[in-house]
Amino acid sequence: MRILGIETSCDETAAAVVEETGDAAKPWAIRSNVIASQVPIHREWGGVVPELASRQHVRDICGVVERALTDAQTTWRDLGAIAVTQGPGLVGSLLVGVAFAKAASAAAALPLVAVHHLAGHIESLVLHNGELPLPAVVLVVSGGHTSLYLVDRPGSYRLLSRTRDDAAGEAYDKVAKLLGLGYPGGPVIDRLAQEGDDRAVPLPTTRLTHADRNAPELKGDLDFSFSGLKTAVLRLVRAHDGPLSDAEIADMAASFQRVVVASLIEKLFDAARRHGARSVGIAGGVSANSRLRAELQQRGERRELPTFVPSLTLSTDNAAMIAAAGLRKLRAGITSPLDINADAALALG
Amino acid sequence: MKEVAATSAYTTQTESETAAIGRALAASLSAGDVVLLYGDLGAGKTAFVKGLAEGLGAPQDEVSSPTFTLMQEYRGGHLTLFHVDLYRLDDPREIDDLGLEEIAADGVLAIEWAEKLPPSRAQRFGGPGSQAVVVRIEYGDSDARRITIHLARS
Repeated sequence: MRILGIETSCDETAAAVVEETGDAAKPWAIRSNVIASQVPIHREWGGVVPELASRQHVRDICGVVERALTDAQTTWRDLGAIAVTQGPGLVGSLLVGVAFAKAASAAAALPLVAVHHLAGHIESLVLHNGELPLPAVVLVVSGGHTSLYLVDRPGSYRLLSRTRDDAAGEAYDKVAKLLGLGYPGGPVIDRLAQEGDDRAVPLPTTRLTHADRNAPELKGDLDFSFSGLKTAVLRLVRAHDGPLSDAEIADMAASFQRVVVASLIEKLFDAARRHGARSVGIAGGVSANSRLRAELQQRGERRELPTFVPSLTLSTDNAAMIAAAGLRKLRAGITSPLDINADAALALG
Repeated sequence: MKEVAATSAYTTQTESETAAIGRALAASLSAGDVVLLYGDLGAGKTAFVKGLAEGLGAPQDEVSSPTFTLMQEYRGGHLTLFHVDLYRLDDPREIDDLGLEEIAADGVLAIEWAEKLPPSRAQRFGGPGSQAVVVRIEYGDSDARRITIHLARS
């Protein structure tokens, strides 16, 4: 079966066609994956502007879907279902995708499957790598989210922890702005960090819980926090005599990145240990970070635990992952009625 | 014409003390009230809103920064808390499109980075029977924060 996926939860209008392979170990194959990136539009505003985003989605959605079908050499008749991101996200943006998917579902008489955006990110790991050894602990980390999920059986996602304040990607964006590096902050800090000394700047590490492995586990101690780190960078930049030199900016970027990555990796592997995970994964935009990928692999090898990341294309918001998560639900017998609504605060697990 | 106005000031030493001020403020809020938060990056605005959520009876562990998502809502308390962050928005026209006035009527609206609101716009909150609360959080020595809260009921 082929399924059309549609994703408009934030600043990307995306559509994709994903096909079942018949191979239980690697169940899905991408036939097309189209993203009309709105980054050039948003950059001049320094972020995602809701009304601009929804107008752009309206303008792009038909062309993006047509392109996804053409690239996949697929007609509406070849499809078995339509999957769409129902939430969470910007409600104006979500509505465009949901309305389109409902209309197409009614017109083409295809089942509709509403998908949680983060379930899509988790399934991007399976789409790229094949089924993960379960139970798996997955970190979803992006500009809007930093959450750990336990996947104990296919299609089940249990929220283990989340950020108490800023998402990791948001901390990157805010620190990049403090350092005068522009938006988005992730790629530029990652690049500059490679030229800096990651121990040059004394930045606070968030509380780590692995010091005493026999200590009772406290509720919420797998939670993330990046606000204090952001404040520490702000204080150092403000206290600095004059603007930072390029070398000082590189040192700050490297030191910041070291602390963020250490916190993400520690909690991911701590959760994996507690839940007897047989694999770990990192999905979402920040999974493209080079240091995070390298430390994930190193720690996995040391722990003899298989580790998974999506391809770079599947790490940022895309519709192929929504199509994959849609197939997972469809095969579990779950479809959605045509009266579903976009839900900006949709919960998962 | 503002009928009742009051200003109070606090100094906090920790994030949880900042949250406690928010928690205490929640008791004097009702539907339609707007809390405008002013303060620099890392001042503790999100921590304050965490306390606000807890004071309203919503699960405070669901509260996180809405910078990326622009708005989050927390249900489960006796009033819904709408948590908005204007950090990314630089053009007043884009702020208009968020429809803040409509949101405000349905619960308590907390706005981080209220600096981004044009002053005329900020003054429009707190219509008949509701109140606008201005919360300013400033950096003090080391970890300290100075918090001033100005309540005005019309």
